[in-house]
Amino acid sequence: MKQAHCIYQDEDHRWLAIARDTTKPGYIIDTNEYVVIHGEEALLCDPGGIEIFPSVFSALSAECDPTRLAGIFASHQDPDIISSLALWLEFKPDLKCYTSWLWQSFLPHFGGQDSTFVPIPDSGVTIRLDGLELQAIPAHYLHSSGNFHLYDPKAKILFSGDVGAALLPADHNELYVQDFSRHIRHAEGFHKRWMGSDRAKRDWCERVSRLEIDMLVPQHGAIYQGADVQRFINWFAALEVGVLRS
Amino acid sequence: MNAPEPNFHGIAPRTGELARIVRVNEEIKAIVATAFRINLMALNAIFLAKRAGNAALGFGVLSNELRRFAQDLTRHMASLREMTSGSVGSVTGVVQQQRIAAILAEALRLSGDGVPGAREARRRGATRLAEQQVRLRSLDLRLRAAVEETQQLVELGGVLARSAKIEAAYGGSFSAALMQVSTDFAEVIAQIKRSLEVLGKERLVKD
Repeated sequence: MKQAHCIYQDEDHRWLAIARDTTKPGYIIDTNEYVVIHGEEALLCDPGGIEIFPSVFSALSAECDPTRLAGIFASHQDPDIISSLALWLEFKPDLKCYTSWLWQSFLPHFGGQDSTFVPIPDSGVTIRLDGLELQAIPAHYLHSSGNFHLYDPKAKILFSGDVGAALLPADHNELYVQDFSRHIRHAEGFHKRWMGSDRAKRDWCERVSRLEIDMLVPQHGAIYQGADVQRFINWFAALEVGVLRS
Repeated sequence: MNAPEPNFHGIAPRTGELARIVRVNEEIKAIVATAFRINLMALNAIFLAKRAGNAALGFGVLSNELRRFAQDLTRHMASLREMTSGSVGSVTGVVQQQRIAAILAEALRLSGDGVPGAREARRRGATRLAEQQVRLRSLDLRLRAAVEETQQLVELGGVLARSAKIEAAYGGSFSAALMQVSTDFAEVIAQIKRSLEVLGKERLVKD
């Protein structure tokens, strides 16, 4: 059963990580969902797939009033990212879904109407959440051709979608990366195969190196914090990507 | 607490509505194919009656009527087909809404009582489902009425086939051939009747 963990709090500004579902069926990839709460509004990042909706919803409801959800941020179009969209809209029909313009006409296959989607241009956009300014940072081709990450300059947290993801063994349930060199072994194969463009990777590394990041929170696996953030960026910059096998 | 089951309670049996539409469509397809056969058979019968001359004048008239019957039947079946195609959309809507409602109900159950917005979400879902079910019931009624109308038409076809059999007896040297044709008519129409009976028993929604 998923649980929401508060990973950042400063008065009415919080980040929740809904992570490490040890009881979900093994054939479904484990995912992390994040909720940014500021004042009276909340934004859900990569809400996950249909099958895990009850578990994500109940974890979120335990820590946050779900009627405060103002929007959903979908880093890209994959089913483990956003196939639960229709269910969130069933609960709150006026939710806005922020996603790359590229997926604006694809995501309605999961649910929603024209008015649901707020297309993000390739260069990115500022998303306002009850006065807080969040930045949608371009991460195209990492791995999706229309891909964004979400940066919170106040909390110094970067939600990095599939970048930084690690496919951890069942007994690795830590929320934060404990030992970078041990952890990164579980991320290597994934990044080599899924991240298809070396140029896009270098652009992203340069872009995020300019940001002040205390935590890099990926959609799969554990959270990088402190020095491990830069360690990850350096590791990724040096990694050969777009290869079937090492 | 345990992880939610991948298939939520109450979803599987409801998908039977789509299966029912598939069965209805298959019956309609079978009847359309048979109506096409009657049309060809009637055309052959018209030529045969012409060759038989004065002895088969009555048979010729009946063959013309049977041909008209086949054309009317094809039109009826086309409109039935259109109705069932429309109902696929309605049934899919209901099935989808039921699935969403079941998963949301599971989410609300796991979240415990008193989740803000839960009552409104349930009410909204129930209203939407009720609206879709009303639409589906009205389609079902229209479909049943159309099947009944077609059954009456086929009764007329049965009468024509029986009359053709009687006329065949007066066909002189062509009598055996005409009898064979009229027997074929009767068999094909009996087959259509059986298909329509099956169709008449199918319901897009459970009573």
